[in-house]
Amino acid sequence: MSMVRIEQLSKYFSEGSQQRQVLDAVNACVDEGEFVALLGRSGSGKSTLLNLISGIEKPDSGDVTIHDVTITRLRERERTLFRRDNIGFVFQFFNLIPTLTVLENVTLPQELAGKKATAVSPHALHLLDQVGLADRRDTFPDKLSGGEQQRVAIARALAHNPLLVLADEPTGNLDEETGQRVLQLLIDLTRGAGKTLLMATHSPEIVPFADRVIEVHNGRLEEKELDGLFAG
Amino acid sequence: MPTPNLQSPISNLPLFRLAWRRLRRRPLQYILLIVGVAIGVAMMVSIDLANGSAQRAFQLSTDAIAGKTTHRIVGGPTGFDEEIYRRLETGDWRLDQSPVSSLQSPLAAPIVEDYLTVPELNERVMRLVGIDPFAEPPFRDYFAAQNSGEGNGIEGLVAFLTVPNSVILAQDVADEAGLALGDTITLNHSGQRTPAQIVGLLQPTDDVSRRALSGIVFTDIASAQEILGMTGKLSRIDLIVNDEATLAALTAVLPPGLRLETAAARSNAIRQMTAAFELNLSALSLLALVVGMFLIYNTVTFSVVQRRPLFGILRCLGVTSGQLFALILAETAVLGLVGSVLGLGLGILLGRGIVGLITQTINDFYFVVNVRGVDVPPFTLVKGLLVGLAAALFAALLPAWEAMRTAPNASLKRSNLESRTRQLLPWLALAWAVLTAVGVFLLWVRGNLIITFGGLFAVLIGAALLTPPLTVLLVRAVTPITQALLGVLGRMAPRDIVRSLSRTSVAVAALMTAVSVVVGVSIMIGSFRTTVVQWLNQTLQADVYVSTPTLTANRTFGTLPPEVIAEFRAWPGVDRVVTARHVQVDAPDLGRPVEIIAVDGDVSNGNRPYAWVNGDQATLWPRLLAGEGVIISEALVLKENLPTPPPDVVLQTAVGPRALPVLAVFYDYASDQGTIMIGQDLYRELWQDQAIESMGIFLQPGAEVDQVVREMTAAVNGRQDVLIQSNQALRAGSLEIFDRTFAITAALRLLAIVVAFIGVLSALMSLQLERARELGVLRATGMTVRQLWGLTFLETGLMGGIAGLLAVPVGYVLAWILIYVINVRSFGWTLQMQLEPAYFLQGVIVAIIAALLAAIYPSLRLGGMVVATAVREE
Repeated sequence: MSMVRIEQLSKYFSEGSQQRQVLDAVNACVDEGEFVALLGRSGSGKSTLLNLISGIEKPDSGDVTIHDVTITRLRERERTLFRRDNIGFVFQFFNLIPTLTVLENVTLPQELAGKKATAVSPHALHLLDQVGLADRRDTFPDKLSGGEQQRVAIARALAHNPLLVLADEPTGNLDEETGQRVLQLLIDLTRGAGKTLLMATHSPEIVPFADRVIEVHNGRLEEKELDGLFAG
Repeated sequence: MPTPNLQSPISNLPLFRLAWRRLRRRPLQYILLIVGVAIGVAMMVSIDLANGSAQRAFQLSTDAIAGKTTHRIVGGPTGFDEEIYRRLETGDWRLDQSPVSSLQSPLAAPIVEDYLTVPELNERVMRLVGIDPFAEPPFRDYFAAQNSGEGNGIEGLVAFLTVPNSVILAQDVADEAGLALGDTITLNHSGQRTPAQIVGLLQPTDDVSRRALSGIVFTDIASAQEILGMTGKLSRIDLIVNDEATLAALTAVLPPGLRLETAAARSNAIRQMTAAFELNLSALSLLALVVGMFLIYNTVTFSVVQRRPLFGILRCLGVTSGQLFALILAETAVLGLVGSVLGLGLGILLGRGIVGLITQTINDFYFVVNVRGVDVPPFTLVKGLLVGLAAALFAALLPAWEAMRTAPNASLKRSNLESRTRQLLPWLALAWAVLTAVGVFLLWVRGNLIITFGGLFAVLIGAALLTPPLTVLLVRAVTPITQALLGVLGRMAPRDIVRSLSRTSVAVAALMTAVSVVVGVSIMIGSFRTTVVQWLNQTLQADVYVSTPTLTANRTFGTLPPEVIAEFRAWPGVDRVVTARHVQVDAPDLGRPVEIIAVDGDVSNGNRPYAWVNGDQATLWPRLLAGEGVIISEALVLKENLPTPPPDVVLQTAVGPRALPVLAVFYDYASDQGTIMIGQDLYRELWQDQAIESMGIFLQPGAEVDQVVREMTAAVNGRQDVLIQSNQALRAGSLEIFDRTFAITAALRLLAIVVAFIGVLSALMSLQLERARELGVLRATGMTVRQLWGLTFLETGLMGGIAGLLAVPVGYVLAWILIYVINVRSFGWTLQMQLEPAYFLQGVIVAIIAALLAAIYPSLRLGGMVVATAVREE
């Protein structure tokens, strides 16, 4: 069953008097539990595609359907609430809230949905334990290293048990070794929980971990053969 | 199966926790907001409280005297024959009716009253009220058992009735002065001192009565007549009448010169006098709130811009735009509430401080009022709280809207906001044009004074909106100069201002608004003072002025004894004497009392300036003294909206209403209620009052004025209290009153500057925090602390300079509106605008100094910056 269905999706950006087409009537499907890597150069439109899938941005045309909900046809508020309840985000720059502790950062999405911190803390602590940071639960993000911050971000992305996890260059701001470890953790946790993972990246090193690879190039999506990529 | 659930629960609690943590991390920023709101609210509340206290004190004393009175019979300035009361009491008045009616006589109580001073009570002005104790009970219950204190039993009553010049006053008043039952006090009326014995002390059970009685001395009616020189006369008769038939019948039989009015009518008319004065003060106090709103806007915008990445993350995590909007407004509401509450406390303290100033002005210009403490009515507090809160929320609307529009991907950077601000510039210019047009229209409409002030505020806010576009233009103009003079710093500072326009322009606008008010109000006060000095020079031509002692600064009560007048007329060296009588009479067409001055000559010796003269000015005074008509002040014409030439003025005389032709309109700055001058012979004929209150004495050439004043003073010393002043002393006294009147205005404009200063400080703090990384990079690349200071001071100096420069034309426009619109409509005074470079220069300097002072703290913080940390900060 497909978790994400992208149909005839187009997006333009205005640059002065000119319009730049980032996505040109693209189509794609992602199945439940699948890990799909979106490969492409900087500025190719990977992040825009993730933003459209999560409902952060609206397309100029076309639809995105997540688990039978066509989010591109929802109103802004509905998209926001859908995102809050069903999508987990992992960003390149971690984007933890500096004034919240590690644990509070993880419980934040659920608390925003009206759940009590005491009720959601055990699950959050379990996740923190899984990312190896349970002992840092009361630490503020500015005391953590980049790798640790990204591990907290992964825990936060999974805390509310989302249908879909979107990761935008999650290792882009980490050194290679740390990046590898974080990546492995993200994949292990999402696969372990049976979650669908869409990851935008420009580094081909991620390809061996993915189930499928889609390249974003000149506004088009191109399914890449994993074997071919390895050969390249 | 997930579906978007519109009923999905939403909790704002985590957002409030975030807000609270930020508040704890960056308290200073929020403290500035709180202070801004607090000062604005404090100013408004203090003026409200002081105005309200003066009003309430007046109302209390009026109510105390009125009691259950429904109507009054009143006469002219000198009272009326007590026979009227006798006829009322005996029912004889009905005999005057045709046919003779069987109506019952209404309950009536005779009153004789006037103001006097009591040396034993620190020369306080008290109201001596002469009553008939037997007629009193239905009207006033101060003498009832529950209020009676010492000496008010039968024994006290007997003493009150039988001992001449016995008085009863409030226990509090006596205690304050260390007086006891049986002590003697001195009643000083018209310079005549009469000893009076305290035979009773009232102990009102409630606070309201206690305060109402604090300015009153009761005596029996015969004593009052003697002390006040009103033998055989009454000031008024209080009535309790509830049926229209009796009222109509009474009105029909009243002799000419007497009128029947409701008890509230006069006090309402008197209270109306101060309405414009109080509204002017309130408008000025609102100004601080307007300046405070810039500050709030600035602080809240900064907090939004600074948190934009955070909001972006939150939006990604599912926080709705409405939640962000609510968050900003809730934060502002809480801080606004704290600021308002602090403002209320501060306002009460300030109100206590300024109530004396306001009361003094009311006493100087309007009526006698004794304020014994500041009332704090809940309504004023609630109003202050709500207005403070509303102002804060209003100022936060735009930033809250900005927060709401934060894109979830946090990609909107500060640069986007600035480029949006720059796109707004043409719209701001358009908003200025629209607001100015609205302001001009509101000023042009002659109507309610509140609308006029609305016009003033529209012009002022319009000018504030034009500040950002003008700032850009001025900065661009000044950049080549600063660059040539200061090199790279001179290039960077102006660019920084334009680059952070969303912040800097608001600080400049706030400062410009406050400084333009300083410039405008300074020009107005300066012009006013110059006009008054000129007017005093023209009007006061006599060498020596003699009057009864003044009870308040510029009002006399009582009359000069004829023997003193005769003595001074015949004084060696006196060339000629002009005498005057000042009284309040009713003008039925105007529905209020007006002051008339009966004169037998021109004290200005022909120098008085006129706005309009009917016929030849050379013959004006002969015509006036011959009783051909009256001359009226410009204030009366403007206040009553009279046409030019003005119609006849109808006055209530002792022989009934009389229409008197207007011969001229003269400039007068002594009263904003309007004054009418009338020839003495005509006055005496119409009011049958021979009294004289003041004299202007012209000396023969060569006479030594000060010596004459000394000798005259010595001559009456011990016999009669008379105020004898040289021309110079009188002028100095008048200007002293003038300066005292405007002391509060000066204080208020200073407070507006304080709020603006906080605005600039807040803006600088914001910018510094925001640019910590950039400044860290500058330091890392070799900028010394001194250079960093230079950059900061240059930037703020430029901002202050721009604010000062823009305040010059705006200040001029404000001054023009204050002088030619507000003053004319509020007080009826036409002033000559005096433009002195000092006013403008002072404004520019104030702006620059305020801005530079505001830069000190941020500069100190920058100096202590840890470069490595700053560079690492995102």
